[in-house]
Amino acid sequence: MGCSLASSLVALKKRLKRNLDPDLLFIEPSEMVVTRELRDVASMGLRDIHYETGPFITLLDGPLFEFLWSERKALLLGHVKDADLVAVSRVDLLEDHELKHIGNLLKDHCHGWIPLSTHNGTGVTEVVNLMA
Amino acid sequence: MRVVSVSGTRGSGKTTLIRELIAHFNTRNKNSAVIVNEEGQAVYDADFVLSHDITLEYIRGG
Repeated sequence: MGCSLASSLVALKKRLKRNLDPDLLFIEPSEMVVTRELRDVASMGLRDIHYETGPFITLLDGPLFEFLWSERKALLLGHVKDADLVAVSRVDLLEDHELKHIGNLLKDHCHGWIPLSTHNGTGVTEVVNLMA
Repeated sequence: MRVVSVSGTRGSGKTTLIRELIAHFNTRNKNSAVIVNEEGQAVYDADFVLSHDITLEYIRGG
């Protein structure tokens, strides 16, 4: 994430905090932004306004995981590293053995992960609880 | 204000999860705002934004 983009994001957060102060502010970055960068931007904003930060959630696309892991592993690891919660998404489209295989690939790179499907509700409660 | 970040590759379900969370917390009288990169702007349709009283901001390139 470049300096100007980080500055824009911080300025936007400050404006929202000062003008609206919503209970929740969701940040949905482009896929090229990794979790470390999001944490750094969160810290920058705290220099002159107060807000709570986190959780930092990373979604790994279940059905495309194997392809992405082979083609864009560095990016995926950048998303996973420093995340509070890693969720393998769209698990309703996966067979059990496919999910187990993803778990085996991930085990050396994150402390834990959850299966997630907004389609059938799998894992949504865990995400909500993390925000409570 | 609590800042919640949802990262992932395109199509991984970031917007869908955020919409789910907004709807969940909206029923508990928690209001939300979203900062979304321009790729994701089309997914927050006007009906959803209005019905959940969301403030939506876009950021270019982020």
